This record gives sequence, structure tokens and C-alpha cells, in this order.
Amino acid sequence: MSHSTRRWLLRVVVIAYLGALVGLPVVFLFGKALGHGLSAFVTQVTQPSAVAALKLSAEVALIAVPLNTLVGIGAALLLARRSFVGNRALTTAFDVPVAVSPIIIGIALVLAYSRIGWFGGWLSANGIRILFSPAGIVLATMAVSLPYVLRSVLPVLVEVGREQEQAARTLGAGGLRIFWQVTLPAIRWGVLYGVTLTIARTLGEFGAVLVVSGNISGRTQTLPIYIYDSWDQSYNTLGAFAGALVLATISIVALVILSALRSRERRLHVDFT
Amino acid sequence: MASYLSIIVLLPIAALVARGLSIGVATHGWGAAFWHWRVHVDLGAFWSAVTQPAAISAIRLSLWLSLCVAAINAVMGVAIAWVLVRDRFFGKWAIEALIDLPFALPTIVVGVVLLSLYGMASPLGINLFETWMGLMVALLFVTLPFSVRAVQPVLASLDGEAEAAATSLGAGGLRTFVSVVLPSLWPAVLGGFGLAFARAVGEFGSISLIAGGLGRTTTASAYIYSLTQGFLWTSAAAVSTALLLVSLVILVFSNVLARRVQRRLAP
Amino acid sequence: MSISLSHLTKRYGPHTVVDDVSVEIASGSLTAVLGPSGSGKSTLLKLIGGLETLDGGRVVIEGDDVTHVDPRHRDIGFCFQHYAPFRHMTVAKNVAFGLKVRKRPKDEIKRKVDDLLELVKLEHKAESYPAQLSGGERQRMALARALAIQPRVLLLDEPFGALDAMVRTELRHWVKELHREIRVTTILVTHDQDEAMEVADQLLIMHKGRIEQTGSPTDLYQRPSTPFVHEFLGPTTVFKGEVVRPHDLALLAPGHGVIDGTVASITDLGFEVQVTVLLSDGSTPWVQLSRNEFDRLRLQVESPVSMRERDRRLETGSALTRATQLRR
Repeated sequence: MSHSTRRWLLRVVVIAYLGALVGLPVVFLFGKALGHGLSAFVTQVTQPSAVAALKLSAEVALIAVPLNTLVGIGAALLLARRSFVGNRALTTAFDVPVAVSPIIIGIALVLAYSRIGWFGGWLSANGIRILFSPAGIVLATMAVSLPYVLRSVLPVLVEVGREQEQAARTLGAGGLRIFWQVTLPAIRWGVLYGVTLTIARTLGEFGAVLVVSGNISGRTQTLPIYIYDSWDQSYNTLGAFAGALVLATISIVALVILSALRSRERRLHVDFT
Repeated sequence: MASYLSIIVLLPIAALVARGLSIGVATHGWGAAFWHWRVHVDLGAFWSAVTQPAAISAIRLSLWLSLCVAAINAVMGVAIAWVLVRDRFFGKWAIEALIDLPFALPTIVVGVVLLSLYGMASPLGINLFETWMGLMVALLFVTLPFSVRAVQPVLASLDGEAEAAATSLGAGGLRTFVSVVLPSLWPAVLGGFGLAFARAVGEFGSISLIAGGLGRTTTASAYIYSLTQGFLWTSAAAVSTALLLVSLVILVFSNVLARRVQRRLAP
Repeated sequence: MSISLSHLTKRYGPHTVVDDVSVEIASGSLTAVLGPSGSGKSTLLKLIGGLETLDGGRVVIEGDDVTHVDPRHRDIGFCFQHYAPFRHMTVAKNVAFGLKVRKRPKDEIKRKVDDLLELVKLEHKAESYPAQLSGGERQRMALARALAIQPRVLLLDEPFGALDAMVRTELRHWVKELHREIRVTTILVTHDQDEAMEVADQLLIMHKGRIEQTGSPTDLYQRPSTPFVHEFLGPTTVFKGEVVRPHDLALLAPGHGVIDGTVASITDLGFEVQVTVLLSDGSTPWVQLSRNEFDRLRLQVESPVSMRERDRRLETGSALTRATQLRR
């Protein structure tokens, strides 16, 4: 086999593999969801249960994303700027949620915070209901989207170094001013990258949320659960496709943002795990 | 920070393992007697949950599938990375864009999409519903970026000098690849393999629809989920603990292996 | 005394990077801390600036004990090796930063920034971002930023280290001029002898975390108190068991010097020539000759010669200027 034949063969194999595995299914999704016309799609998406699911997903993201962003930036600052015993353990602990099956994360949360869990008695005695409620969904979502901001910010923070911060300090700036005017502007693309990843993951989480949510139609359904329910329980395939298209569009937009950010800040990697 | 992490991750995992291994703490009441506490570990319950035939076959299926998926991924990952780094043709950007899509796409969307294309009503006439092939396709889909993105930067960093040297010494293309390029890629390939394997073992969303309800297509995560549907929390926790251990061993193993290869390759 | 350091000590784990350093630095002087890499000179600068925590000792600036004062209240201007520009701010905003922190009125800030930018010749770059500046311009911006707060002390960490040769020499002259103009007590850290000798009026030689010697450049060059300083400040060779500078040796016709020998090898560098001589005592010192001298002597390998030390009192030119010339 000559060099160029081999090159062609490899090219064809790769294109065929990716086409069959990823390209075709995604194109097909658009066809299915929009195949009955735009109005049919709009009807599906504006159904009360679909709207409720969209709303819940958005609410969950509105709580989980800012919290995880704050914690992620804080942890990154801690890991990059202070040396302390156990910083490797902390890094590893942050990675646990994505290294473990989302189903297991869900069960772990149930066994800690539901009525049958460690703190269930105390929580219910105080009138706090975490499982089978939106609070549980928020908790599960926070857990599975925890590390993304940290992972995106940490390498940028290390690369930027601490000299700008030290310079600001010798010029008389205090800690808060240094953070807002020096550190944050320097890491802003990293933060945005992490936030985008967190949003994508937050809106798409399925397994962990399924375990903790109890799945009562309309009440504790996020968009992914709504899709699952439409497909598997109510056999409303068009509804499932419509919901899937909404989520797929969000993730494609997220990907475009991510790749734009990567070309701006070379320290950002495709670090998807 | 640490408390946030504990609340949403560490404490729940601890609760899970404690439940899974039936670890209990008994005290003789509070006050002074509180200090006379004993820890029970009841491995019997753990053992019987994990050795249920259904549990064994689910874990076996998950491990076996994940190994195959990680292996195929490693091979295809190198091929795709090669094309992305070394080849040049019109429309290559589309391939680059496709690679990350499986990561960004929510798993349930992957499930819906794959099932509509390769399900009972497949427009292509390929029905993978309730087959292990179907599971495999879903897992290959979600793990696609791992190997490619691990290998790609390493391949890009090879300057081609060693390859040129090998070619000038008369080595053929394939021989050059196997003896010169592949050795430098090993750590990345192993790293990608480990990540893909861990992800495949834990995957749930993308395969939850295509697996259907048959025993022979029930993976470990699906089995654990089915236990929770029957409120068998202790068994679910036990199998989860076993799965956690397996993932841990695999991750540590592939990390150690990758580091060892790296060290041998270091100049 | 502007800066007084007593018994400064800094350890990293088992390594003592700065070891019991005590020194006084005069007000308005320009002092160069000179030493090889790893000698602790940069750490010493950071200790003065408060950017590293002390393991022992005291830092007094103009009579104020600042040992436990946060860097933000020390009133020092610190210039980092890589300038540490705030990349997301324009040059003018960079320079204004310290003044804004001090809550000066807007028009005062504006006036002061304009003045400083004029001083560092960056008026035309006020609205540029650091990424759009050359290395030398960034360095000048960093200086302006540090000077804006009217520091009691200016600390420069390897100020010319990251610049290419041309810009380096230019900027050196400029810094010397600038210092002459504004007379702020300045300490700069460098590993480059030429730089230190050319720019500074005081030298402080560091080696393995300790101070080897302090004094004026001429002093140190002519009267090094330790073998390290001797070797560090210029080329050396051994003549009759003593360490001497190769240009302090003279070659003469056989019989006219202290000891005879033959030329062993000749390295012609164009503007100067290095001649290694095998002496009758078996040693092989080398001599640095000017082109003229060498041509006059008409030496070849195997030529018989005689050697002695030059009489320094007869030399009119300063050893310092020669040393810097030789090093180029």
C-alpha cells in the first residue's frame, strides 16, 4: 500500500466512523424534531409540562452555577496561591463527582439527606425536605458540576502568576481591590470557560437528578427527565425530540463559546471528563 | 470550601459506603456511656447483595463493555488524532467540531438520538434496541473525546524529526509509526483509556433508553437504579460501593501505568 | 541611612537562602545587589519589599521599622523582573493604579500620570495596552507605575534581564540618568557585573545567601576582599601563586621581567589578544594584551618572554573602565 493510499484510507475510515457515530445522529435529531414543521415543534415546547421542566432546569442552573462558580474560584485561589498540606487531596476530592457514576452520586445524596439517610432525621425534624424536592435536584446538580470552574481557572491562575497581585500590593491595594481589579480580570476567560462548562453540565444532568427527584410529572421534572419521561413513559416521541433539540442547541452554542474562548486563552484545554 | 465539598460530595459518599458495608456505630446512650461505642461492620449483607446473579451479570457486562469501548476508543482515538494533526483536507474543521459534541450533549439526548436512528423504527434498518451492540454504540459516543483529546496534543508536539530519521534509515511508514511514533503516544493513550473506561463503567443516561428492560442488557448503573426503584437502598449502596472500588482500582492502575511509561520515555 | 537591614534570614525548608544579612544603604544612593543565580539576591529584595516573610531580622526604612508592615503600607516601588504589567489596563491606567488606591483627586492623578509618562518617554503610548509595548517600553511603564506613589525606596529585580542587548545598554544609561534626576534610594538586583559596575554607585556582592563585600565599584574591583569577589568581578589567572587580573600582567623581552618563560599559545580576539605563557616555574598564567602591545612585541608561539606585574601606580586609566571594556 502506498503512502497516499494509506492516507486516504485512514481519512475515509475516520470520517465514516465519526459520521455514523456522531454526525448522522445529530443531523437526524434536527430532522425529527423539526420534521413536522416549526409549529409542531413550538406546540411541543410550549406544552405546560415542557414549560415547567424548562423553568425548573433554568431555576436549578440559576442556583447551582453561581454557587459552583464562587466555590470553584475560591478553591482555585486557595490551590494556586497558598501552599498547604493536603492540597492534592483537595484537588482529587473535587474530581470525585465526575469520576463517579451519576447514579451513585444520587444514591449517596439520598443516603445522606433523605428520610432514610444520616441527617434525614435532623433535617425533617427541622422541616427541611431535601430529597424528592427541587432542593434535592439543586444539590445533585451542584455535585455533578462541581469541578469545572476550578479546573478551568486553576491553570490560568498558575500561568498568570502572582506578580501582578504583588505589584498591586506594593502600590497599596488591599485584598478585595486586588481580587476585583487585578486577579479577576486576569482570569476572566478561564472563569467564563468554566461557567460555560458548568451550565452545559447543569442543564444536561440526568442520572443523579433522576435518583433524587422522585419524578413527579410537572413538579420535579427537569428538562432531561422530561425527555426521558416523554420517550419512555408517555410515548410522546415528538415531545422528547423537541426537548432534546432544545438541549442540543444549548450545548452546541456552549461548544461554540468554548472554542472561541480557547482561541483567546491558550491555557484553556479541552479537559472533558 | 471544605465544608461545601463535604456537604455535597464527601459526606454523601461516606454515607453510601457506610450503608453499603453496613457499617454502624452503637453507643450505650449519651453522656459518659457515649464513649463505650462499637463499630459494626456487616460484610454479610454487602456480600449477598454483590453476589446476586443479577448483580454479578450486570457488573460483568459493565466491565466487559467498558473494556471493549475503551480499547476501540484508544485505536480510533489515535486514528482520529492522526487525521486531525497530520492530514489536511477540505472540511476538516467539521471533524474537529464533532469531537467535542458528545461531551456537551446531555446523555439523555444522546440516548434519544441513538435510539431513533438505531432503534426499532430505524430508518436505516439497523435495530440495536436491547442489544449489547446498542450499549456499545452509546458508550462509544459518550467517550469519544477522551482518547482523541489526550493523544492530539502529544502528536502535535512531536516535531517529526525522529520520524524523518527513521524514514531516512529506510524504515517504512508503518514501521516508523509503530517503532517511533507509538512509543511516545503510549502515556496519552493509556490516560485516555483510563478516562474512557471510568466514564463507561459509570454511564447511565445515554444507555438507559437503548438498554430496554432485559436482564442481558442491564449494566451496573442500570441495575443499581432498578434497586432504588424497589427501595432496596442497602443493596443499591452495596453494589455502588463495589463499583466505586472497581473504578478506583482501574483509575489508579492506568495512572500508575501511564506514569511508569512516561518515566521510561523521559530523556 | 535610608535602609538598614539587620540579621535578615530566610529559609526555604532546609535551605537558608538569605543568611544573616546586615547592611546599611545610604539615602539617595543607587545600589546594585550582585551575585550569581541562587545567591539569594532576589529573595533579599523581596524581603525588603515585604513580598516574602522573614524568618529573622529587621528591616528599617528611613527610621521606620517596617519588619511587620504589610507591603501595601511600606511605600516602596517594586519593579518585577517581567514587569508584572496589569495586562487588562492601558499604560495610563497602570501608572494611575497606585494613585487611585490612595484616592487622589482625579485631576491630580491625570496631571501626575502625564508627568510620569513624559519622564519615561511614553506620552504617546498612554492609551496602549501592555501587550502592544516593546520590552523596554514595558520596563519604563513599570518604573513609572512604581514611581507614581512617590516611594521612599525603589526596588528593581533584574531590571534589564529580559531585554535584548541593544535595548539593555540604552536603558541602563537611562536608568542612571533618571536616578541622577530624581535621587530616590534605589536597589537593583542583577547577575551581570558590567551592568552593576556601570549603573550603580554602590555594590553589594552576594554569594550563598551571605554578603561577601560592599563598596564602590572601583573599590571592589581593585581591592576584592575574598577570592569569590575577585573571580566574580572579572577574569583572573595565577601568577607566582597569587590570583591576579590577566591585564595586570606585562610581557617583556627575556630577562627584563621577574621570571622567564616561553609563549605556549595565542588567542587572537581582534581588539585584544590573550597569551598563555609557560614559565620556568612550570605554571601557565595568561596575559591580556591590547592589540598595540601585542603587535609591538611581535610574539609567536615558542617566543621567549619575561613576565612581571604591572605597576598600578603608573597606569593612568581607571581599572574600572578597562574592566568594562574588556568584558564586552
